[in-house]
Amino acid sequence: MKTSKCLKHALNMVIHSKLRSWLTILGIVIGVGSVIAIMSLGAGLQQSMEAQMSGLGGDILTITAGFSRGITFGHRRPGGSGSSSSTATEEEVVLDRADVQALKSIPDIELIDTNIRGTVKIYYLGKSGSVTLTGVDQKVWSKITTTEIRDGRMLGPADMNVIVIGGRLADSYFDKPLGINKMVNIEDKAFRIVGVLDDSSNSIIMPLQMAYTVLDDKENGVYDSIVIKIKNEDELDYVIEKIEHKLMMTRHVADKNRDFTVSSSRQFQEMRSEMLGSMTLFLTAIAAVSLLVGAVGIANTMFTSVLEKTKEIGIMKAIGARNKDILMIFLLNAGLIGLVGGLIGVVFGAVLSGFMPMLMGGSMPMTRGGAATVVSMESVVMALSVAVIIGVVSGVVPAYNGSKLKPVDALRYE
Amino acid sequence: MTKPKDGARKKDDALVVLKDVWKIYQMGEVDVPALRGVSVEINKGDFVAIVGASGSGKSTMMNLVGCLDTPSKGRVFLKSRNIADLCESDLATLRGKTIGFIFQQYNLLQNMTAFENVVLPLELQEVDDGAAGKQAKKVLRLVGLEDKMHHLPSQLSGGQQQRVAIARCLVGDPEIILADEPTGALDSVTGKDVLNMLERIWKEEGKTVIMVTHDLHLAEYAHNIIELKDGKIIRMEQNHKKVLH
Repeated sequence: MKTSKCLKHALNMVIHSKLRSWLTILGIVIGVGSVIAIMSLGAGLQQSMEAQMSGLGGDILTITAGFSRGITFGHRRPGGSGSSSSTATEEEVVLDRADVQALKSIPDIELIDTNIRGTVKIYYLGKSGSVTLTGVDQKVWSKITTTEIRDGRMLGPADMNVIVIGGRLADSYFDKPLGINKMVNIEDKAFRIVGVLDDSSNSIIMPLQMAYTVLDDKENGVYDSIVIKIKNEDELDYVIEKIEHKLMMTRHVADKNRDFTVSSSRQFQEMRSEMLGSMTLFLTAIAAVSLLVGAVGIANTMFTSVLEKTKEIGIMKAIGARNKDILMIFLLNAGLIGLVGGLIGVVFGAVLSGFMPMLMGGSMPMTRGGAATVVSMESVVMALSVAVIIGVVSGVVPAYNGSKLKPVDALRYE
Repeated sequence: MTKPKDGARKKDDALVVLKDVWKIYQMGEVDVPALRGVSVEINKGDFVAIVGASGSGKSTMMNLVGCLDTPSKGRVFLKSRNIADLCESDLATLRGKTIGFIFQQYNLLQNMTAFENVVLPLELQEVDDGAAGKQAKKVLRLVGLEDKMHHLPSQLSGGQQQRVAIARCLVGDPEIILADEPTGALDSVTGKDVLNMLERIWKEEGKTVIMVTHDLHLAEYAHNIIELKDGKIIRMEQNHKKVLH
């Protein structure tokens, strides 16, 4: 029998399938849909991250106290001693003016911004909330930050009781939006808003000296992090090496007991991207398990189908069907179940992926910025191929069993 | 139709030859013989009725003649070819081109229309669509069902379904028509119509018809009668009423 005719008979079998076959197809739909949705979400997040990375300064470095072989992005709360020569493991280590002085002697560094950070209470029109406050060196912050200003202006060198706030804090944190020249109380001090950042954060940026007065537990001259802009982005690795060498000398530490970490935003983003890739792969693997369950479903349905169609196989054999005709019809039938499931699954997955960021409710950092999901042609082709292959592979044994039936036995089957 | 002598060479015009054929079924540890040393020759153009009570071995004999099964002992020749020597694929091809089956329960594929059922044997033989369609319509016209060709079996009466089965049997222009209790599921009037149709096909188309029946009255339509009992041929004779006609 010609393959086209086998396909026609296989299609006829799918069309006249009973509910069970459609439930089997549903299994594949769920499997393929999940894989597509997760892959498209992963691709969307990757794309959004790449967009963010392209906007980040590759020439920005951050130095934090404490050291780990991996990159640590949290900051340690400095101790009260102000000493810069304590070890990383037993005593709290800090960054201070001595470190800044040491860094100033490196000619490859263009700008140095010193930061402290903490959580503060903010009050506005009788309402309050907790937000993150960052104290920055206002003389350099505007030149070093990669975040744009949406409204108002950056902090200026002579600013004192003024702040710049994040986009979300301005728009939706309080019942009424915060804007330029509005007054808010932070802890017990009044501040005027001079700028709103073009981001979706709840953060507050204020001059470093004012931040010391608000964050009681911070000691003047001790920093949580030092942000550096280097002169030549191409020499990033070389400058990092130079900074590390210099700080190890001034802090009297060796490589084995190093107590500070130098990291670049690019490294950070690359690591996040790598982690995201691994997470996507992991989730895809979990979704693939449902595809595997779908495959078992197809095998089960095909075995039942062969049993159900035993008499038909006998009739076909009696009128001249060869083993390979029967094998081909059942294999194509299984493949079609996979294909139909795959096609519906791709549509389902594409629709589902559109709702994913909403379903996650912004629980993933990357979805907060409204990262769109991307259904790539590769993922569609891959999912469809896998669905068809799974269908065919699951159908091999039942189809083979069906093809090997003796016509006389098959005809006798009731 | 003749009974071949041991060692005798089969005749050139013998379509089907069974030589000392045994068919033994295994029921657990017990061997149950369904045919015991059956030898017979069926010639081109014969109309043979195989009769016998239930369990006499007539269906087993038909399965062997139709190449649906192979003997436990002895040899079955179809068109001079020992079916035991043929591979599955050759056997299927031989079956498809040489034999047309008519079953008691019609055995139509329920998801296919009358036309699709009839054209199926030609599709299996990879006949091109145009010629296959023309031939299927021709045989459906022959059995008087041209206007029902797009009906599903479930939309046809028992008699109409059997006529579709006859059309399917004829579409490949087989030399042998094997009919297993062709009227078993039909009322007497419809059954008679079907038998008349078989007889007409035998006469006009020159086919060899082998009919299995338990009904001795129906066997009267045939020109040769083989009677089986307990797996053995107990009577093999010409139907003189028909022969004289």
